[in-house]
Amino acid sequence: MIRIVTLDPFDDEDLAFLSKTLYQAFGLGTEHAGSRPLPSEAMDDDGRFDAPKLVAEVEPVKTFADDKVLYLTRAPLSIAPGPLGEPPCWSFAQYGGERAVLSTARFPARGVTEASIDAWRKRLARESIHAVGHLWDLHHCYDARCAMHPPWSPSLGPSPEMELCGFCRDKSERRIRMSKT
Amino acid sequence: MKGPPARHEEPQEVYPAVEGIIASAGDLAPGDRVVYPNQGVCRVTGIEKKEIAGQKLELVRMEREEDGAAVLVPKAKVPSVGLRKVASRDQMEGVFHYLAASFDDPELDWKVRHRDNADRLIAGGVLGVAEVVKGLHSLSRIRPLPAKEREQYDNARHLLVHEIAVSLAVPPALAEDYLDYALIPPEGVRFNLKPPPKPVELPLRPRRRITKPAAEEEDDLGLGDLGIDLGPELELGVGAAADGESAAAAAGDEATEGGGEAGAEAQPAHAGEDAEAGGEDEELEPARKPAPAKKPEKAAAAAKKPEKPARKAPEKPAAPAKKAAAEKASARPAAKPAAVAKPKKAPAPVAAKKPAAPAKKKPAEKASPAKKPAAAKGKKK
Repeated sequence: MIRIVTLDPFDDEDLAFLSKTLYQAFGLGTEHAGSRPLPSEAMDDDGRFDAPKLVAEVEPVKTFADDKVLYLTRAPLSIAPGPLGEPPCWSFAQYGGERAVLSTARFPARGVTEASIDAWRKRLARESIHAVGHLWDLHHCYDARCAMHPPWSPSLGPSPEMELCGFCRDKSERRIRMSKT
Repeated sequence: MKGPPARHEEPQEVYPAVEGIIASAGDLAPGDRVVYPNQGVCRVTGIEKKEIAGQKLELVRMEREEDGAAVLVPKAKVPSVGLRKVASRDQMEGVFHYLAASFDDPELDWKVRHRDNADRLIAGGVLGVAEVVKGLHSLSRIRPLPAKEREQYDNARHLLVHEIAVSLAVPPALAEDYLDYALIPPEGVRFNLKPPPKPVELPLRPRRRITKPAAEEEDDLGLGDLGIDLGPELELGVGAAADGESAAAAAGDEATEGGGEAGAEAQPAHAGEDAEAGGEDEELEPARKPAPAKKPEKAAAAAKKPEKPARKAPEKPAAPAKKAAAEKASARPAAKPAAVAKPKKAPAPVAAKKPAAPAKKKPAEKASPAKKPAAAKGKKK
């Protein structure tokens, strides 16, 4: 089961679309499990939230074995810089674990037109699949049409696909089958 | 026709030592973190004694950090399995500078590429794993990877991500972000790169079959196996011994390969080599008997000189298979007097008549081998 938890207010229709898409992508039941406050302990000096700390500190929701929890926020996230600098942080997931957090701060503006809202929802769905994919042990994929392709890649178009490639889909299905209790 | 040359004919490859490689089990202590090639980062939990297949072995017990799977390596095998220390922070920085450098042209021959990548994953250290990831990533820009290489790419990426995570003490998801930040930098990002470290050079492998001199090639045509006589000067014992040798070498190869995978089995495999080679020889005997055509002559000769094969036998005790062949040779005369005693009534007179008519000899010889093994088999039964 995938549980979506909001850390900021989100539109119900957006959440309904997201639940439907996650269900289609992983074949797992998906529901909105409520809202939680953003943990202030995870806030950096620059106003961004440290993603690993946020995931560790956020209030839990009731889960069962093999449940995955996706936290949604509008706040910008940060991660510790690596040897070549700090990669842009769109989301963070406990690899093979239970919790992931996704920020919409780097998304293009939601806008008010139907087309822009649709594009925004698709992007939300894509990045959610990406984050939940990490929870199911999926690595980044070189295929730009796959949802597991890095979100900052220049190969991604303005409205990238929100589906997994064949390899990633097979792998996630295998993992899900193996872990079902 | 003979197939490709046996593996033992190729020069034995020796992998160069990778930086941080663990040379002996004495260097390991409980709590150490090491990288097991193709398995990932493991933590040494202790050394224990176990009895496996009747042998008492000292095993280094490790636990794979990723999933807690137990890995047991015989102490004696520690230097050869390629265990190495987790890359230091400095080494890892070098890896990132290598990953972010411009792409080389990928190797287009998939066989060479796949083999080289497999070698790199085992013996190339952390930079070798990075090379595999980068090489396959650059290839994926040209065309989608075939299924096997896609799998290899994913495995290499998995190993690299976990080693980065351990080395830099960050969660694996961050390690993966760092990795892809170097491989696929966002638009407008330029890195101030230092010259990357030099990758470990893997041993060159012969790409072509080793060519033999024409005369040797002719000998290896396996005509003897088909029951075709190459001439009276061809020595029976030589062919049998050579065959036996290759069989033994092949058996040895298998044994070491098996040993590589399951260290505990390595020693018993070597110990049983002689027996295996001998057994193999016996199984192949009916098909391999190189020149049954000579048997009528030999039968006649054996009747006259029964000591001759017995002399041959002690001459070749070097290789285990030779021993087997020798045993056969020595067993033959023991069986032959009985076996030969019976045919003496039927084929021996033919053999006795033949020297008088050398022109007819060959057809008679060719006809007899077909009968002979059958007759021999029947007698054996």
